[in-house]
Amino acid sequence: MTRYFAIALLLSLPALASAQTPAQPAAAAPAGDPQKGREKTRMCEGCHGIEGWRTAYPEVYRVPKLGGQHEAYLTSALKEYKSGARSHPSMRAIAGGLSDADIADLAAYYAQGGVKTASQ
Amino acid sequence: MMAGMRLSLLIASFALATAAHGADLTAGQAKAKEICQACHGLDGNSAVADYPKLGGQYPDYLAKALRDYKSGARKNPIMAGFAGALTAQDIDNLAAYYSSQPAVLARKY
Repeated sequence: MTRYFAIALLLSLPALASAQTPAQPAAAAPAGDPQKGREKTRMCEGCHGIEGWRTAYPEVYRVPKLGGQHEAYLTSALKEYKSGARSHPSMRAIAGGLSDADIADLAAYYAQGGVKTASQ
Repeated sequence: MMAGMRLSLLIASFALATAAHGADLTAGQAKAKEICQACHGLDGNSAVADYPKLGGQYPDYLAKALRDYKSGARKNPIMAGFAGALTAQDIDNLAAYYSSQPAVLARKY
């Protein structure tokens, strides 16, 4: 009897502990993994991997350079395409299929591209 | 005669060059100092992660972004205020100016 009680107490410990832990802020973004991001660029490189590539629709302009851009900005841009707040048709379609982890990985990958740092 | 032809050719090519670009880098820099610098930096290498780097970005993309902010096609409360006050010429000048800055963005992608 005591044994069962002890086991039950043990099992309930994590639940008690987590109940007392303050809730994590909802905005805590998953840390992006640039290596994983590199493997997810198949949908991106057809436009962003070709220097000077131009959009065809609805307006013609060169697609932006991403390498070396701020990670936070890249993340918010993809999230805005995903939510529809930004309206480019191709980008909405592509970002719509990305998870939050995909977005974080891609942003981390593109952010580390381009600008060399002392450690590189 | 020959010299006159050369001169008119020179004038014609200069007129063509300015018509092709139509942007004034000096005016662009002046406008950048006045409006954009605080967030994006004068060389377009913004120090704040939420604000995109502009230095070396393609001018047609920068101009499109500014036009979209101005028209409301792209929604951002901060940029709407700034872009709304720009003329079409300001937009071309600023896009040309920031794209002419040393590239902080990668060449390939």
